[in-house]
Amino acid sequence: MDEDEFLKKQIKNLNTHLPKKRNTLEKLLDMEKPHVTNRDGSDYRFKKSELNYLSEIISEKEYSKLRLPIMIRVSPQLGRGTSKITGKIEKKVVSEILDKEREKGEELLIYRPETRKIRKKLPTTTQYVFMISGGR
Amino acid sequence: MTSGSENIQPTRGELLKLKKRIELAERGHELLQEKRDALVTEFFDHLDTLKEKREKVDEEMEEAFEDLIEAKVVSGNLSLEQIGDASKRDIDVDVDTRNIMGVRVPFMEVENVKREITERGYDLQETSPKVDEASEKFEEALQAILELAETEEIVKSLAREIEKTKRRVNSLEHVLIPRLEENKEYIEMRLEEQEREDKFRMKRVKQKIESQET
Repeated sequence: MDEDEFLKKQIKNLNTHLPKKRNTLEKLLDMEKPHVTNRDGSDYRFKKSELNYLSEIISEKEYSKLRLPIMIRVSPQLGRGTSKITGKIEKKVVSEILDKEREKGEELLIYRPETRKIRKKLPTTTQYVFMISGGR
Repeated sequence: MTSGSENIQPTRGELLKLKKRIELAERGHELLQEKRDALVTEFFDHLDTLKEKREKVDEEMEEAFEDLIEAKVVSGNLSLEQIGDASKRDIDVDVDTRNIMGVRVPFMEVENVKREITERGYDLQETSPKVDEASEKFEEALQAILELAETEEIVKSLAREIEKTKRRVNSLEHVLIPRLEENKEYIEMRLEEQEREDKFRMKRVKQKIESQET
């Protein structure tokens, strides 16, 4: 394979672990085996304990608005080790866990120690996304 | 991979193509570096969890065996075997996979390991409380062992992926990007040379025309 093609494939493959479509907390709580289907066709399972934890930190009205997994967007343009969380409810959840004051807008920038904290708390309900073009 | 610049056409078109390739390689390098960093962080966090879980298993197993010995003293071997037979059951272990940045790792959810005292199937009036204590401790230990197995497998899978990603980052950083940069410099140098030659040629032609006119 041509080395450019190989590299393009490598970049493209960085995100094959992502779901085709995210599912709401409301739907996942109703599933016997909560999961979403990934782009590569495999199933991605969520731990029930994490879903229950999330259901405790947001109101019941917000269950249908929180889409899982929460995406931790990594982009070299944001600076090494910096990630972005988008979405109102997603931002609320992450701010709550980090005990961070919420800024206005629907975006939240988090740094490596904070990402670690989030991943430790929500290992199955968060996923890394590698932003291929543009990050801001 | 070819090295050096023997096969390179020193044209502007080639230079443009090369610049695009460098841009792609640098973008790939940055993204793979981010992936490697994130994998390393995940690896160490899971390693810490593994340590904690291993300690927990050791502790719980020790306590469980201590209680078992005491239960043996009180109830006797034969009676304990009968109790064991009576309390046999299947455990629901839901085993699946999940994905951490493209790394397939096991997913395990265990239910009903810990039982209520009345669910164990033996006669409470005829057994010592030590048996209950030992049973409870073993159930806790079993839960911890299953969780430990999941984390252990995650750590191994992450370590393998870190190695692969490191190799890719290094090959981009130390082989591909320097070679492309070298080729770019070669073309730029040849183009500058051509430009100088053209200028010189033009000057000579101009001088010739001027001398012919005079």
